Amino acid sequence: MSLPPEVPPAEVGATTSAARLSGFMRGGLAVPLLTALLAFVAGGLVVLATGRNPLSTYKAIFDGSGLNWLFPWISSDDRTLAALNLQQTLIITVPLILVGLAVAIAFRGGLFNIGGQGQYTMGTIAAVFVGTRLPGAPGLVHVLLAVLAAMAAGGLWAAIAGWLRASTGANEVISTIMLNYVALWLGVYLFGLDGPLQNTTQPSVPVSADIASSARLPVFWGDPELQGLHVGIFIALAGAALAWVLLNRSVAGYQIRAVGFNPDAAEYGGISAGRQQVKAMAICGLLAGLAGALDILGWQFRLATNDIQTSQIGFLGIAVALLGRNTAVGTVFAALLFGALVNGTSVRNLDPAVFPPALAGNLTLIIQGLIVLLVSAPVIATRLLGWRGRLARGGGSP
Amino acid sequence: MADVPALELRGVTKRFGSLVANDGVDLDLRAGEVHALLGENGAGKSTLMNVLYGLHQPDEGEVLVRGEPVRIDSPRRAIELGIGMVHQHFMLIPVMTVAENIVLADEPTRGALLDRAAARERVRELSDRYGLAVDPDAVVEDVTVGQQQRVEILRALYRGAEVLVLDEPTAVLTAQETAELFAVLRELKRRGAAVVFISHKLGEVLEVADRITVLQRGRKVATLDAADATEPELARLMVGREVLFRLDKAAARPGEALLELDDVHASDDRGLPALDGLSLTVRAGEIVGIAGVDGNGQSELVECVTGLRAPTAGAIRVGGTDVAGRGVRECLAAGVGHIPEDRHRRGLVLPFDLAENLALREYRRPPLARHGLLSPKRLRALARPRLETYDVRGGDVDTPAASLSGGNQQKVVIARELEQDPRVLVAAQPTRGLDVGAIEFVHRRLLEQRAEDRAVLLVSLELEELRSVADRLLVISDGRIVAEFGPDASDEELGLAMTSGAGAAPRHGERSEPE
Amino acid sequence: MSARRGLYVAFALAAVAVYLTLPPLGLRTPIPSLLLAVAALGAAGAALRAGERRLGRAAIVTAIVAGALAVVFAGADEAKLADVFAWSALAAAMLRYATPLIFAAMGGVVSERAGVVNIGLEGMLLVGAFFGAWGADVAGGWLPGLLIAMVAGGLFGLLHATFAVSLRADQIVSGTAINFLALGATGYLFVKLYGEQGTPDDLAQVPDVQLPIGAIPFFGDALKQLNLLVWVALIVVAIASVYLFRTPAGLRHRAVGENPLAADTAGISVARTRYLAVTGSGVLAALGGAFLSIGFVHSFSENMSAGRGFIALAAVIFGRWKPGGALAAALLFGFSSALAQRLPAFSPSTATLFQALPYLLTLVAVAGLVGRSRPPAADGVPYERY
Repeated sequence: MSLPPEVPPAEVGATTSAARLSGFMRGGLAVPLLTALLAFVAGGLVVLATGRNPLSTYKAIFDGSGLNWLFPWISSDDRTLAALNLQQTLIITVPLILVGLAVAIAFRGGLFNIGGQGQYTMGTIAAVFVGTRLPGAPGLVHVLLAVLAAMAAGGLWAAIAGWLRASTGANEVISTIMLNYVALWLGVYLFGLDGPLQNTTQPSVPVSADIASSARLPVFWGDPELQGLHVGIFIALAGAALAWVLLNRSVAGYQIRAVGFNPDAAEYGGISAGRQQVKAMAICGLLAGLAGALDILGWQFRLATNDIQTSQIGFLGIAVALLGRNTAVGTVFAALLFGALVNGTSVRNLDPAVFPPALAGNLTLIIQGLIVLLVSAPVIATRLLGWRGRLARGGGSP
Repeated sequence: MADVPALELRGVTKRFGSLVANDGVDLDLRAGEVHALLGENGAGKSTLMNVLYGLHQPDEGEVLVRGEPVRIDSPRRAIELGIGMVHQHFMLIPVMTVAENIVLADEPTRGALLDRAAARERVRELSDRYGLAVDPDAVVEDVTVGQQQRVEILRALYRGAEVLVLDEPTAVLTAQETAELFAVLRELKRRGAAVVFISHKLGEVLEVADRITVLQRGRKVATLDAADATEPELARLMVGREVLFRLDKAAARPGEALLELDDVHASDDRGLPALDGLSLTVRAGEIVGIAGVDGNGQSELVECVTGLRAPTAGAIRVGGTDVAGRGVRECLAAGVGHIPEDRHRRGLVLPFDLAENLALREYRRPPLARHGLLSPKRLRALARPRLETYDVRGGDVDTPAASLSGGNQQKVVIARELEQDPRVLVAAQPTRGLDVGAIEFVHRRLLEQRAEDRAVLLVSLELEELRSVADRLLVISDGRIVAEFGPDASDEELGLAMTSGAGAAPRHGERSEPE
Repeated sequence: MSARRGLYVAFALAAVAVYLTLPPLGLRTPIPSLLLAVAALGAAGAALRAGERRLGRAAIVTAIVAGALAVVFAGADEAKLADVFAWSALAAAMLRYATPLIFAAMGGVVSERAGVVNIGLEGMLLVGAFFGAWGADVAGGWLPGLLIAMVAGGLFGLLHATFAVSLRADQIVSGTAINFLALGATGYLFVKLYGEQGTPDDLAQVPDVQLPIGAIPFFGDALKQLNLLVWVALIVVAIASVYLFRTPAGLRHRAVGENPLAADTAGISVARTRYLAVTGSGVLAALGGAFLSIGFVHSFSENMSAGRGFIALAAVIFGRWKPGGALAAALLFGFSSALAQRLPAFSPSTATLFQALPYLLTLVAVAGLVGRSRPPAADGVPYERY
């Protein structure tokens, strides 16, 4: 008995995106798996409409991603190729894990960080800046300095949005979008023609100088000359582990999550919502900045204005985080999925006889869009499982 | 046709999941009468009216308008049938003008354009006819609550309402405004309208109504003529037993002053003065009740004492330490416990599980936290005995708070606060929306605190609750304590003090929860 | 002098201070400008003290910036200055750059005034760009191109509305999804249909409107030959403004965005209003996109909207959810693009930095540093009858 369900759901804590999407965030693996499946089926229909075979297309993408390396039965020639492909997939997975976490942690704090892209860009800029300086510094020190600079740059960039939100109430969605573009144009300015950080050897090419070899991350799997897998994967996984501890086992995480679900109740518990928002955003920026550093120090070694303008890593991070239910573990697996998808559809890896890679890249975007679309409405998740009842109504009432 | 009711409900049943909000309710409404719908909070009055207004569909039963069975599937249909509603939370657009709000959805036009002059004129006309003075060009968010209510009434009349439903219309009004409202209702009646007046205030109902229908736990228990009814009889019908319950209350033995407020001033969220030199003292072993019309500074008082709001001037001493403006953590450390007035907004993080909710006050201290890390195992270990002690049902430590009933949610809040061993407990409307059993539980806990020599400050809108639990009653009006009474004060005495405080106009924008 | 008037004086003095050093006057000394800037500073300071806190601070910054700009311009190469500040050409370019922003921003205003945040404007713009080009190609005319673009944009709007209204989705998340989907779908179709070659060179074009006003100084040069859609955009602003603030339907529309429950109890269908608004928003944004592909650059390329939808969103906020305000913001952003296009005469890298200006300005606006932006009260909140 007691409170009749007349309290508008909007008034019972569903004031943040985190609270609104809590329907999707609950429960186990079934919802994200079904969501991904639905998106892939819809993507398959698109392929079918193009007059291609969806199954063989997905098979080719899968092979292109190198995930078949995990199968014990493939031939040794295939395995060599698969290893090369898998290295590329994992190289893409590294930043995806980190920018995914950068979206996920903000989400748990009730903030929608669309600024992963800009924070990542700031990270790459800082990493290039430090990486191209201090030639001859000891490797570990150089890498460490570059990584720290990138994390600081990303963290500060994100903290601007958090600070604006906390101090003026400025919506972080708008401010992070704006900061994305400011970062983009800043990067294009710095490395563009005539730019202060453009390389000096080729004045007609808008690209930075190469980073010093001392700043490069060691490759531990594959040929360093052929873009083997760098140790950044371990750093990204360590980042995910730390994020897990932060969210599930720490006082800071408890505070961030409390603010995310209900800022008023958090305030009542002595938690300042504003401070948590700045903190959550700054942590996210650190992670996104780290992603940028690992890409620069791990395999790109330089930054072209074109890379800055076409990079989609930060936006992929949104899909990664949402599909991973904004948990640390889920984000890692979702990052692997999207890493495989992006690499498996790349020009280099997808067999053009089965499906044209230029089309497949867009197929990835479509699948990405469908996943985010399906996640946006928790009703869909609850219907998917036929799982109605109390939580489905947004959490209020008896 | 004079004997055909203007509106009739037959056997209306409305369920929400397992909850039966209305259970076979009959009601007939005649033109030219004020019909009061009386019931406790949660008796199903608002649900019934939402059925009538097309916001809910009844699961069983039928609605007849002037003898014809009708299906009201939307507010639009209700309006077409001549039913108008004045909601408890006003359904107005704050940024629009009075005239725009009134003509909304039935606007006078000139060509394809809105005819503002005509709208203004029609509003003037209506307000003159019914004696409801409003300024058509004022922006709604700038006018008083009383005027906003007039706008609501005018809007219903503008749309041609012959049946007017007013949901708890006096809850937000001053005595003066209430008297004016009653005059308007009598005028409406004289002009042949049928008025439904929803309330749980016996005195008002007897004053203004012609007939009274009493609801109890979703069922209709009686319809009687106001002329024959008496307050005790209505009270008995409303609560289902002679009295709510008698608390065995030993005389208070007040000890040292634990909470002292000295000339406290504070502003509300909009920066307007809310507390205006408020002083009070609560001693160990006593319960002090704060009575007052909603929106006279109660919320700000509670927030100042619990550290959620910094007073602009004055001292707040807890056991001798000044905590004014020191924030939640310091207040907590000084020994202030707080049962907030809105458990959904403040008291609980609904998606958090019960263990996490129970830790909201101590999550950062050992044993729960060490070196910044939180132990879920210890969180649960702490929560389990508390759930048991406070008889929380319907969930375990891992259950999200959202899936508990309101009464059990409130028990979680109380468990958390009392286990902090507070010296001073601030309880703000701790029984709002609870059923009788849960209310009794809360009241007993409050008395236990008194017996353990804690100081309790109880803020409530329910005079009955204040009288049965508190040892002293302080009346708050316009941000000041204007009178003090013993627990045997009469409704009249209290009501007079609550409403006659100098210029006691409740400010607009105060929230009051739907029943 | 009232505080408000002091503000106007400060802004006007700052503008004149800069203008003195630009063509056609082109003073070669910054002294008069600096004196004016100091006067502007004084007026701004007075306004600040008189209570215009937010705008007063903005006026002070403006005065200082104006003084600095005057110093720069007075010392700059005259020929280059004349090249960059060819006013009538700048004005025409401003209108061209602003047009897609105006269309999309009107879409944003219409959607958000009904209480649905439309972060998918970017995607809808892109959809309009592709389908405008495709429609013009297959139907062999610009008019069917526009119609097809509007239908496609409307469908994307409808998709967003379905999620935002019927499925009560989180509107930011579903809008983000719309952007991904639009990017993927247009890219997919473009590659599939046009592949390497791109859209045909003889794509039908939306015609320019020739006005016989070339003789009128400044305006004549700026307005005598503009694309039809530029004029349509300006007309759309007028219509949107009248609709929202002068018609019964507009009153209801805004009521839904401010307090849907109140609108519902007044007998207005919240769902219908929001569906129409969001679908219309898609149609408008698509028109902006069609202008890009068949009015401006005469071809389609992948992701050619390039963030214009987000600038339009910024214009909505900057313009405080009013059609006129959003128009002013779009023109300001268009002007900065037009200027950036010409600045390379001085320095290509500075021109690049100029591209970030709209985003920085919006950042300042949302932070409330200049005035207060109050969105419709129910913006972004799914409505559910309780």
